[in-house]
Amino acid sequence: LVDKDLTGLSVLGEQLLQILLGDPGWQIRFSKLLFCPCAVMFSELSAQKDGSSLLCRPGSEHQGPVFERASPAYSPCSERYSVGERSFNRQYAHIYAARLMQMRPLLAERAQQKWGRDVLIRKLCDLQAGEQCCVVGTLFKRMELQPSILKEISEEHNLLPQPVRIKYISEADELILEDELQRIKLEGRIDRDKCVTGSVVVIYGAERNDGKFTVEDFCTADLPLQAERPALSSDRFVLLASGLGLGSSHADSMLGLQLLVDMVSGQLGDQGEQSGAAMISRVLLAGNLLSQNTQDKDASTKAKYLTKKTQAGSVEAIRLLDELLLQLVASVSVDVMPGQYDPTNYTLPQQPLHKCMFPLSSVYPTLQLVSNPYQANIDGVRFLGTSGQNVCDIQRYSSMESHLEILEETLRLRHLAPTAPDTLGCYPFYQKDPFILEECPHVYFSGNAPTFESKVIKGADGQEVLLVTIPEFSSTQTVCLVNLRTLECEPVSFSAFSGDEEESEMNISH
Amino acid sequence: MDELYLDNIDEFVNDHNKIVTYKWLSLTLGVHVNTAKQMLFHYLDHKRKESSVQLHATYLVSGKCLDNGQTSHKVSVVREEQLEDFKSKMSLIVSVHVYSVQKALLKDSGPLYSVDYDAVKDNLKNCSRYSAIRCTSAVPMSSLELQQVREMQRAPTPEPENKKPGMNGDAGLASKPSTKPQKGIMGMFANKATPKNQDSGKEIKLEQKEDTPLAGGPKSKPAGKASPMMNFFGNQSAKKPDKTVKEEEAAPSTSAAQQQQSSQPEEKQYITAVELPKDTRKDSRSVKSKRKDDSDSEGEKMEKKKRRRIKNPEPESSDDDFVPESPLQMEEREPSPRPKKEIESVSHSHVSGHSETKTRKRRRVLKSRTFVDDEGCIVTEKGYESESYSEAEDEVKATKQAPKEPIPSKLPANKEDGKKSQKKTSANTNKGTKQASITGFFQKK
Repeated sequence: LVDKDLTGLSVLGEQLLQILLGDPGWQIRFSKLLFCPCAVMFSELSAQKDGSSLLCRPGSEHQGPVFERASPAYSPCSERYSVGERSFNRQYAHIYAARLMQMRPLLAERAQQKWGRDVLIRKLCDLQAGEQCCVVGTLFKRMELQPSILKEISEEHNLLPQPVRIKYISEADELILEDELQRIKLEGRIDRDKCVTGSVVVIYGAERNDGKFTVEDFCTADLPLQAERPALSSDRFVLLASGLGLGSSHADSMLGLQLLVDMVSGQLGDQGEQSGAAMISRVLLAGNLLSQNTQDKDASTKAKYLTKKTQAGSVEAIRLLDELLLQLVASVSVDVMPGQYDPTNYTLPQQPLHKCMFPLSSVYPTLQLVSNPYQANIDGVRFLGTSGQNVCDIQRYSSMESHLEILEETLRLRHLAPTAPDTLGCYPFYQKDPFILEECPHVYFSGNAPTFESKVIKGADGQEVLLVTIPEFSSTQTVCLVNLRTLECEPVSFSAFSGDEEESEMNISH
Repeated sequence: MDELYLDNIDEFVNDHNKIVTYKWLSLTLGVHVNTAKQMLFHYLDHKRKESSVQLHATYLVSGKCLDNGQTSHKVSVVREEQLEDFKSKMSLIVSVHVYSVQKALLKDSGPLYSVDYDAVKDNLKNCSRYSAIRCTSAVPMSSLELQQVREMQRAPTPEPENKKPGMNGDAGLASKPSTKPQKGIMGMFANKATPKNQDSGKEIKLEQKEDTPLAGGPKSKPAGKASPMMNFFGNQSAKKPDKTVKEEEAAPSTSAAQQQQSSQPEEKQYITAVELPKDTRKDSRSVKSKRKDDSDSEGEKMEKKKRRRIKNPEPESSDDDFVPESPLQMEEREPSPRPKKEIESVSHSHVSGHSETKTRKRRRVLKSRTFVDDEGCIVTEKGYESESYSEAEDEVKATKQAPKEPIPSKLPANKEDGKKSQKKTSANTNKGTKQASITGFFQKK
């Protein structure tokens, strides 16, 4: 331990030196340093302290150790994501209007910071050709390939059904800026493919004679202010998992899931591992608890009499989930977020799954069914994140590939889901856009990513945010642990042997 | 420690040919998980030394592992022969213990899951009893606490729940105002016949209680409404289109109510049946003449036709709700004193018209299925309309006849219908009463 402290100190010293020397690169290096192997990881914390092993005969004296579960202060703050009265009669235009209204002052301030106090901020209607100025507006990307229901049903064009694509961007896309009254085509130094519809930005440049706006520079609202994170005296972890994918056709991932449950609930491993697991103070399941396979699209089109005796796949899967949750909640607090394939409303914000679906586990006060954009303070650390729909949607409509990159982009845009309601289902809010980030989280995550990624970014006002993409468990058998004290994040993976693996192992050994 | 468990495990593994996992053993023998792991190890060790019985084991290995340049904590279940291999890959080994012991060689790890699953399922209530972590806050709530939690959750949203009954039972609301105007009507009746007065008193009382008795509830309405209806029809030509809609909504409710009325004691029926028609007919006639003057013009008729058309598409939505009623009405009408043919055709048309307009009130489903049917309907009505176009008049006549019919036959149907119609009739009361006050006005004239 002394050794670790020393390395920590030396790291700090190095930073101090760099700060003193005015090295601008220290931020980047620091974020890298955070993940240097000297950081205290779960494995180290759990490693055997006293040489006692389980590979021995049971001792006669003691009944085995029992560790106390760490219980952090917890306060959910997801009220803004609950939809009270549900009226779907409204148009979606109100969201854009509300978004622009809320963001305009922020962006105006950013513009002044970036291009000087006396920079001209114009509305589109006041724009004069050739005048250098700033305009705040909502981006709209006109995309040829964007699926359109109108195109699909238009018979006069006799179009073939559009193929499902991974990406909908093309060379013909046009970027347009809209404000309350008008729109203008954008050209110049703004990456068309990277931008997505619905993001509010401020652009700097001038309108040309042909009515297009030449962008010289642009900026986003960037990170909001962050509340200070209290210093914790001990290591505590929050386990993030997503995409359990129960009810899928191949059940070979089930042992991995069971291992996860056993590890968290303190069944598995040596005493060291168990004492480490006791530091996991909370488990957060970020959506897609059920597999996509549980959604039988044919059910609605099939004749009633054919499906009379069949049970929806989700029924069995939910029962399985209830049993798994029961094992978890009997030992740790669990937050359950719904995801794209879970039985709740489809549009964001997804409301919590209903208690009735969990007759076994819902009797425990440790089970929290929460909404899909989820926000909570755990030991003073603010968590914010989604089950991943927002990120996946942006991935389809922009050139960005990495979930982590997209996650950072949404944070920089200060908006959880800019593509809602354009290409992402969303409730028609009209007075307020709840997806605008008003406070900077300490941990910003998204679920159901193809791989685990994480990094720390720093804001201009001293914000420090841990970005995490939680991998889909059913395909990666990986979850991640966030250390609340240090804001480090590390993956934990589970594996079991299978028939195929055996052969490969055999080949190696022979 | 007594080593009976060795025999136990031996029995499970060899005799029962089971896969014995540490978790299963812990739950079965009721020992701490770590003890169970050690027992398995001891058994394995002991057996191997003792005899050459082929035993296979799987181990759990966890530790720090470097995968694709990323350090992670890895937890794996491996077979015995892979154990050393796995251990060598780990940069830091956190735990190693026996996961399971079995006789057969496991091809894949699927069975391990199912063994545990069964054991856990049998012990769902205390599945973490033998684990190494205790969570003080994870205590199942008692049913009382659960109830409290549920109530707390419900607390913020009691309004919708309260609202609903209120909306269903507009009756409750409707009945109050209805009594007031009805007094006026009652008074109007009272002028004509003294026995009626007593009746009306009763009826008002009943009206107030309306919510509770199903069949008996709405009986007071007919008296109050029948005559207003008449008046309204008379007035119709002068009214705006939406008014006619209201009339038609209200009219059916009278007929329904009248049917219900027919299930009352004979005497009352007789009285109402005799009294009511008389005076309503008078009303309607007086009005009728007036209306004839107004509505003789072709344009007026056309307008009316249009009106009908406009309203028709939505109403037919739920005829089925009212199916029980229409045959009844027909029954009632059959013995009417008028020439049978004419009456029947008219009543038919009206019946269908009624059920439609009535139901429209309750359900706003747009269906244009029977639109053509309605067209026919209009035609017949028009034909009748030239004479007076007072549906209610027919109905009044019908009710006059009704008492003569065997009552029991109607009773069940009415009751059955009561539930359904109550809501609607009560909803109609509102309108009826409004109109009633107006009728009072016309009555004076």
